[in-house]
Amino acid sequence: MLAPVAALRRQRRQPATRATRHRDRVRASEQIAGWSFVTPGVVIIMLFGIVPIVWSAVMSFQQNNLLTGNTPFVGVSNYRQMVHDPIVAQAISNTLVYTALFVPGTMLVGLFLAVAMNRQIRFISVYRTAAYATMAISTISEALVFIWLFDPSYGIVNYLFSLVGIGQQPFLNSTSEALYVIIIMTIWGWTGFAVVIYLAALQGIPKTLLEAAAIDGAGRWATFRRVTLPLLSPASLFLLVWLTINALQLFDEVYLSTAGGPLNSTSVLVYYLYEQAFTNFNFGYASAIAYFLFVVIIIVTAVQFWGGRRFVHYRS
Amino acid sequence: MRRHWLSTGMAAALVAFGLAACGSGGGSSASTGLQIWEGYTGAEATAFKHLLSEWNAAHPSEKVTYLFVNNDNSLPKLLTAVRGGSQPDIAYVYGSWAPNVAQIPQVVNLTQVVQRSGVNWTDFWVGERDVATVKGKVIGIPALVDNLAVVYNKALFAQAGLSPPTPNWTWTQFMADAKKLTNPAKKQFGTAYVTPGSEDTVWHWEALLWEAGGQILNSSNTQAAFNSPAGLEALNTIRTMAVTDKSMYLDPTDSEYANLFNSGKIGMLVTGPWDLSGFPNVHYGVQVMPSFAGTNGGHQTISGPDNWVIFNNGASRVAAAEQFLLWMTAEPQDTYFSLHTGDLPIRASQEHASGFLQQMNTALPGVDTFVSNLNNVKQARPQLATYPKISQILGTMIVSVLLGKSQPQAALASAAQQVNQALASG
Repeated sequence: MLAPVAALRRQRRQPATRATRHRDRVRASEQIAGWSFVTPGVVIIMLFGIVPIVWSAVMSFQQNNLLTGNTPFVGVSNYRQMVHDPIVAQAISNTLVYTALFVPGTMLVGLFLAVAMNRQIRFISVYRTAAYATMAISTISEALVFIWLFDPSYGIVNYLFSLVGIGQQPFLNSTSEALYVIIIMTIWGWTGFAVVIYLAALQGIPKTLLEAAAIDGAGRWATFRRVTLPLLSPASLFLLVWLTINALQLFDEVYLSTAGGPLNSTSVLVYYLYEQAFTNFNFGYASAIAYFLFVVIIIVTAVQFWGGRRFVHYRS
Repeated sequence: MRRHWLSTGMAAALVAFGLAACGSGGGSSASTGLQIWEGYTGAEATAFKHLLSEWNAAHPSEKVTYLFVNNDNSLPKLLTAVRGGSQPDIAYVYGSWAPNVAQIPQVVNLTQVVQRSGVNWTDFWVGERDVATVKGKVIGIPALVDNLAVVYNKALFAQAGLSPPTPNWTWTQFMADAKKLTNPAKKQFGTAYVTPGSEDTVWHWEALLWEAGGQILNSSNTQAAFNSPAGLEALNTIRTMAVTDKSMYLDPTDSEYANLFNSGKIGMLVTGPWDLSGFPNVHYGVQVMPSFAGTNGGHQTISGPDNWVIFNNGASRVAAAEQFLLWMTAEPQDTYFSLHTGDLPIRASQEHASGFLQQMNTALPGVDTFVSNLNNVKQARPQLATYPKISQILGTMIVSVLLGKSQPQAALASAAQQVNQALASG
């Protein structure tokens, strides 16, 4: 690979011949055409991506309530405040517990349903539609349904518990149970997504490999473990990264069901920064929390990709 | 190098073009006429549009156009608009945001405007005027007023052998009634309390605090004053029902309690007039909030009024906006709006206008008690930019006591210390 590049460099140093001038002109016109195609996209990304990203970085070093033009520079004091804020510590811990349970939970349920539906049985498209419907249902409807399911006095979950002799649980009224209700709620909501990704990946597995495994005497479980699962690994990595990013940014379900309560037991980072920004008008502090989360997400994603290289099997 | 110049130049030109296009879109409000942001839906929207068309017919050169903005999101959107220089002329803004809104430089000072002849500023309820005024400066004209009273289920009272509450009732009676109305077998509760820890949790308690003779902050708003015998009595009252008697349904979602009352599962609710239209399935009565025997607080309530705020888009538009708002909030328009929506009248004189209460009550039974209860609005929450923080601290205190996580006295002391810290750091 090195040789042609070096040759090209040597060539460039030579005085321009007719041929190279012509090539340059072609390249220039290609550049213009290319840029004119991507410019609208670039403009939109600049406006709605880069500008807020840079602006919030600036705000994280300011005391800024967005109300007045007075935005004194306060150095890293917003970041220092985070270290001493007990609710930030609680929000980080809630976010971690949530992510650690939600991501594998969704992937396992999704994988199970996808494998179960990856066969020719009656009404299969009905089942598949039903599984994906959880994605199509709006978060607010989802939250309302789960609020009623888990209502301490009138909910069906407590009714079912009473049938098997389990005592009445306070669920969303309990500081130790509310977060788990939200985890169950969001796993339900994201299962459809995981099912679709896994189903597509399952259908991409060549039958020849499965047949070869069967001929070699592999049982169902061994085939699944040794052939199917490794071939699903790119889909698994994608889901892992995607769901983790979403988990770290959890907001809607918390906002709609518990508003971070009771007593901050379901307050996650994004909800807390929303509260700081739009209830307390501490946009500087909220930006600092957002930036902390941004860095965490980048690190986690980088680690996942790096770790992913070790176990993800890409079929060429 | 030239290539790069060309492409960069072109990209820059397109960026500039894009920005210019956005800019011109935002600047379209520069045309004549006023723009108003409001969040009315249903009957309120219909009545508002009707009044708007009346105004527009009479003032062809100062036509008002409206833009629906969900009230919950109006302040964040206003902040964005103000930053972009495309603020509306008038916006509907929650009263709880008044101290924050007052800091926006583009907000018009209306202190002189409300003193003009014919405005009759003192005809607005005192609770409204308090919330429209921040540090002596009037920043809004009242748009809505409400208050808390007790809505009770007549059938459940009769079943429990209880006589309906009277205007002289006390919290001791309320607690006893709540206990008798509670029936675990039927999953029936005496009363309910919203426990998301938000301002909705807090203001219910603040009304009790005032009735017990207490104050939220000291008179100069520099120290917490709620850590008092009155604060303890207020907190103990709701704690007894939630923890000891278990006669209080705790609603962390702030939405279920109304459905449950409408299903006959809850005997009494402390709530506002906005909930009445959601109770078609029960025969309910409305009574003022109970008082605490042996205190001088009497029967009080709390009000959460909202404001119309004017933003500066040039002197002529400000003048037109002022004129429009004074018309909109004048008696005839107020009467029309109340009768068509069931919203309480924003002017006190309406209470005694002939036939007004009867007409209101025909449309929405029990609303007359809420109107007369406006006379029990004797205090307002502190008009401070730090109030949201204070509210969060109080919300945590109340929820932790109601969930049995902490004792009232300790919770009060800890909250008072946090509030003092918040006040000190501004």
